Amino acid sequence: MGKAAKSSRKGKKAWRANIPTDDIDEYIEKSTKDALTGGSLTSLPSDSLFYVDKSTDISVKKKIEKHREKVLHCESTLQKNPFVVSVPSSILNKSKKKRKVPKIVVESKDDSKDEKDNVSGMVDLWEAKDEDNVKPTKKPKPSIIPAVEIEAPGCSFNPSFEAHQDALASAVAEEMQKIYKNELGPQPVPLTVSSEVVDEESLYILPDHDTEDDAMDEENPENSDTAADRFSKTKRVTRVELNRRIRRRERQKVESEAKKIEKLSKEIDSLPDIIEEIAKDDEEKQKKHLRRAVAKEERRKLGPPRLGRNKFEPAPSQVLLSEEITGSLRKLKGCCTLTRDRFKSLEKRGLIVPGTKRKRK
Amino acid sequence: MPKHYRPPGKKKEGNAAKYMTRTKAVKYLQVSLQDFRRLCVLKGVFPREPKKKFEGNHKTYYHVKDIMFLAHEPLLEKFREMRAHGHKVNKALAKKNKERAERLKAARPTYKLDRLVRERYPSFIDALRDLDDCLSMVHLFATLPAVEREKIEVSRIHNCRRLSHEWQAYISRTHSLRKVFIAVKGIYYQAEVQGQKITWLTPHALQQVLTDEVDFNVMLTFLEFYETLLAFVNFRLYHSINVKYPPILDPQLEALAEDLYALFRYFSASSRAQVLENQDLSPSQPENADLGSVGTEGDESDLRLAQLQLQLPTNTPGALMQLVEKAGVEDTDDDETRECKSLFKNLKFFLSREVQRESLLFIIPAFGGVVSWEGGGAPFKETDEGITHQIVDRPSQGHMFLSREYVQPQWVFDCVNARILLPTDIYAVGRVPPPHLSPFVDNEAEGYVPEYAEKIKRLQAAARKELMPMPGLDIEDIEDPQNILVAGVISRTEANEAAEEQRKISMLQNQYHDELNMEVQGVPYSASGVHRTMQIPVEDTESKKETLPDSELPVNEEIMMSNKKRKLYKAMKMGEDKKKNANKLLEKRKKMAEAKKSA
Repeated sequence: MGKAAKSSRKGKKAWRANIPTDDIDEYIEKSTKDALTGGSLTSLPSDSLFYVDKSTDISVKKKIEKHREKVLHCESTLQKNPFVVSVPSSILNKSKKKRKVPKIVVESKDDSKDEKDNVSGMVDLWEAKDEDNVKPTKKPKPSIIPAVEIEAPGCSFNPSFEAHQDALASAVAEEMQKIYKNELGPQPVPLTVSSEVVDEESLYILPDHDTEDDAMDEENPENSDTAADRFSKTKRVTRVELNRRIRRRERQKVESEAKKIEKLSKEIDSLPDIIEEIAKDDEEKQKKHLRRAVAKEERRKLGPPRLGRNKFEPAPSQVLLSEEITGSLRKLKGCCTLTRDRFKSLEKRGLIVPGTKRKRK
Repeated sequence: MPKHYRPPGKKKEGNAAKYMTRTKAVKYLQVSLQDFRRLCVLKGVFPREPKKKFEGNHKTYYHVKDIMFLAHEPLLEKFREMRAHGHKVNKALAKKNKERAERLKAARPTYKLDRLVRERYPSFIDALRDLDDCLSMVHLFATLPAVEREKIEVSRIHNCRRLSHEWQAYISRTHSLRKVFIAVKGIYYQAEVQGQKITWLTPHALQQVLTDEVDFNVMLTFLEFYETLLAFVNFRLYHSINVKYPPILDPQLEALAEDLYALFRYFSASSRAQVLENQDLSPSQPENADLGSVGTEGDESDLRLAQLQLQLPTNTPGALMQLVEKAGVEDTDDDETRECKSLFKNLKFFLSREVQRESLLFIIPAFGGVVSWEGGGAPFKETDEGITHQIVDRPSQGHMFLSREYVQPQWVFDCVNARILLPTDIYAVGRVPPPHLSPFVDNEAEGYVPEYAEKIKRLQAAARKELMPMPGLDIEDIEDPQNILVAGVISRTEANEAAEEQRKISMLQNQYHDELNMEVQGVPYSASGVHRTMQIPVEDTESKKETLPDSELPVNEEIMMSNKKRKLYKAMKMGEDKKKNANKLLEKRKKMAEAKKSA
């Protein structure tokens, strides 16, 4: 392009050749290049250079959705007709409206709160006095045991002598109870049983005294049958005998009636005794009931009901031994398993199910 | 196969309809067991015991309504979200896409328990009522070591520490501490806040041992809820005494681990700021106005600077004194608070190095005293002339100031429980102090009064009557004639009081009996009039009382009672008998012990 002409040129042509056309050429070159590539990128705004690819974003309308768009006939009939004025219900509408309004308010409030602070505990939670949104649900307390049980005065770090003896005695009693339970309780089932090895042959042969018993059982019913046949043959009843029987029956009837009357009169005479007896029974029943109620209350105070596989086991009480009492706070050998104590308290109140010891991984 | 076949369409009845086993509940809610446990703890849903355990004794049962309550919880959705998020992180890690995993970890979904607190405690009083366990747990975790294995994080322990200090500072500031009892297990405190008695237990200053019986997952879930609860309670309480809640503490004191003292200073500073602002309203002072505007602006750093500036002058030793005096200005207190406030008034304490500081720093200001200690950031030195009591817990004290008394720490606790200043010489250095009695035991109800409690009672009576025992004499030499005289006077007054009371009671009782009798006889109440019963002379009632056995109600009254009441009465009597027997045993033991001692 920018090549010098090789053939000789005369006149105008030679003159023309002397004019430099580099800039024009450059321009043309550039413009053609631009035309081929589609324009220079520097001058274009960035919007036209990049675009958000939405081809994959467009959600494909699924068959189901298409189906949804269709309005079923039954639904269309249920839809509200704008020309028909609905009859206002007296009670239902009122209650619904009242309920709905505070709900919306609460939601908006919550949003604003969330924006304001992300750290919890920086708002007065009980400031708003609207009791509508929070229903005071009355839950049954899981247990009557207080959250923090105060130890007996004997468990003080410097207890008085009597109180200490008392606490110590109860602690000792607890321990002894455990020991006695172990000693007096049923023997655990042994894991292995020592005995002779049974031969394979004898394993399959059953002792045969069972068959004998069966034979005996079979014989017996036959015997009883023959006996019944024999006794079923009775003598004929004569007229005299029949009359005697009728008379006897009548006599018996009269006698039994007389007896009945006598018995009744006797019972009437002993009425105060009977009443007394009934009262006694009632009293006993009541006592039993009372005892049971008291025992139940006491049991509730002692621990939770059985909530799972394991039974709740109380932690041993923390008492100083007599020689450990120094009277000095500095030398106090305090309890260092308070986490266990709190955990046991949770178990005791029935908040969590008592579990077994965990195994360390 | 269940015991009784139920056709498939038929509804369940009875316990099987009302209760659900845990496995079924977990399946119903479609969460993992771990999440279910957490949700239960956070929502306050606990297992129950049905009357009939239809799937066996070894299973855990929940009420169906409780499970439905859980099913509607938004937190459930949050837990699912978190679980899904965990899966995403795991997937990214498995694909070695560390960058993505990091990014995901940073955007972990979180949840807040504010709504749950409000839901479980609709009013503030409800929250206060249920604060015992919360406080004990927070105080316990404040002293625990951070253990990686149990997932106990350092930040949570710090948070617990902060919350517990804030609570203590409030209690101390409002003088609402009532009872303290040092047991082997820990220290029991009882405070009265807004009419609610709150008891909590704090551990001794010892290294706590983590046993493997404890499931820390559960404990930490409980703690999570309790932390939120206590933060809200503290916020409310602080605002009730006009202190801004997230307290801004002096970093220097915080570094020295004197958070509690820093909090006291913060209180005094804020109260002073209030006074300044109040003054600001009437005369216009440019400096104060500036301060006020800064406060209202709410610019965090400026506010912080201003607060600290306010705290600066309080570095002088008299700062705590000022605090105490300021607190005295309030006049909304009830009698008990006033009594507590003035117990250690005008007393200055100094704690020696070996004394356990935590509890004493909390208790002494709570009862109006001023306290300092050996160490950095202390308000005054040991050589301070104004110190009246030095608390020492060692066998012997080398150098002694004559101007002050040296006592063992137990003296403070016993004084607090007795509400009088006990004589100090039995608590002197090197002596075995008298027994530390539990203030939580009602001696009258128990029927057994320990010796030292009787002594304290006498002293209390003496203090009330302004009949202080002679100086130089203590209760030990009660054989002294003068003391006996004093004691005699006291005992006589006491006896008089008791007699008066008894007479009143008997009068009322009599009146009641008469009315009952009249009712039995069918006399109308209005016709008989009250005058007749009023006119019964005292001698008459006393003679009647002698005829009646005082422990038992008359027979006709027992008949008049309803069945329920009668049973209750009987149960009461059973309990009383038990107590009496126990007391007898105690006294017997005491006699035995004394006999042994003398022998």
